[in-house]
Amino acid sequence: MSEYISYGLQVLLIVIAIAIVFHKRNFTIIILIATFGLIAAILYLMNKAPDVAIAEVAIGSAIIPLIYVVSISRQREFIVLDRAQDGFITYGETFSGEGYEILDQFVKSYDLSLNLCVDIRGSEQDLTSQLNVDLIITKDTTRNLYILKGKSSSVLMSKLRQMVKDKPNIRVEVFKGGESND
Amino acid sequence: MIRRITLVLMLVIIFGVFVLSMIDLQSLYNTSGKDYFFANGVFETGSLNLVTGIYLDYRLFDSLFEAGILIVAVSGVMWISQHEIEEKNATFMFDKQKTPNLFVTFSRLVYPLMLGFGIYVIVNGHVSPGGGFQGGAIVATAILILYYIDINKTTDVAKILTIEKILFILIVLIGSVGLITRGEVFTNFFTLSTSTNLKSIYLIALNILIGTKVALGMVAIFTAFLKEGR
Repeated sequence: MSEYISYGLQVLLIVIAIAIVFHKRNFTIIILIATFGLIAAILYLMNKAPDVAIAEVAIGSAIIPLIYVVSISRQREFIVLDRAQDGFITYGETFSGEGYEILDQFVKSYDLSLNLCVDIRGSEQDLTSQLNVDLIITKDTTRNLYILKGKSSSVLMSKLRQMVKDKPNIRVEVFKGGESND
Repeated sequence: MIRRITLVLMLVIIFGVFVLSMIDLQSLYNTSGKDYFFANGVFETGSLNLVTGIYLDYRLFDSLFEAGILIVAVSGVMWISQHEIEEKNATFMFDKQKTPNLFVTFSRLVYPLMLGFGIYVIVNGHVSPGGGFQGGAIVATAILILYYIDINKTTDVAKILTIEKILFILIVLIGSVGLITRGEVFTNFFTLSTSTNLKSIYLIALNILIGTKVALGMVAIFTAFLKEGR
């Protein structure tokens, strides 16, 4: 009886492995990887290797999926550094302001999550290459103009320019960004 | 095209070498090692779990490099994720996907159990399945859950790496004590004639050291991923 269970699990393992390669949605793939680790652990246990099974459960279906979850949610982040800080985006219990509404609408339409930050020093080149900052907001006080700066290599910048083209007080600029070295 | 042909040729050669090595397997596969460990393992190492007996006594030299791999991996991750930008005042307003309340409550419930089970697996590594690496991984998972309970938790990764290096040196030192007491390096420092209970002191000590080291290493890697670009 246990032979047949073992054969069935092995077939399932192959099916899951193929599914991992061909599946499109990242978070489903993580669940599949965790399942793969769990089934492999059961097979180790059935082949009388409980030590390896414990290691496989802990590493393969707990730590690796956790690391993947973190890395993938990082990929879907749109990091904005606010250097104007004068009501374009107002902070508090809830966020509001003209800039916030635009950015919120923007990230929602591309299924990203917005991450706002202030008070990071450093040049624009360094920020985009080392801290993955996507957008830097500055203010030109003489012309009362908000300038949104981003990397020229980012596809999202042209989309953002399309979005704010009928707003007179906002300008989108791109600069040749330092490419990330990893 | 030529590239692809060379690739296929290389794959065929590798497969051929693999098949050739499998032909000889019958003569390589024998049970003499198994029989020896089965007959003498418990008395020579003091470990009821022969796997622990092998990786902490007969083959401690291999385990040392296995422990070294983790240090190298952690150091590599830290080196890749380093940057020079000053970020002390960085306040991230949206730095979290809102963790569901159900998940937080359940994590709080499960956390002590996981920690306890991990420590149990480490300390009982010489009597039941498990050991330093497995228990350390479980403890690390328990600690990682804390990040989901409270995302603002801060960890000093550099300090963790220092502790890990010290633990690694301790493991090597404890392995080398046998040179004085037994005349052999990288084995149990109690002589062969002592009782198995005494010998297990050495196993428990090494298991705890390896478990702590693995747990810290995993936490350091995870933290480096979590704080990447922060």
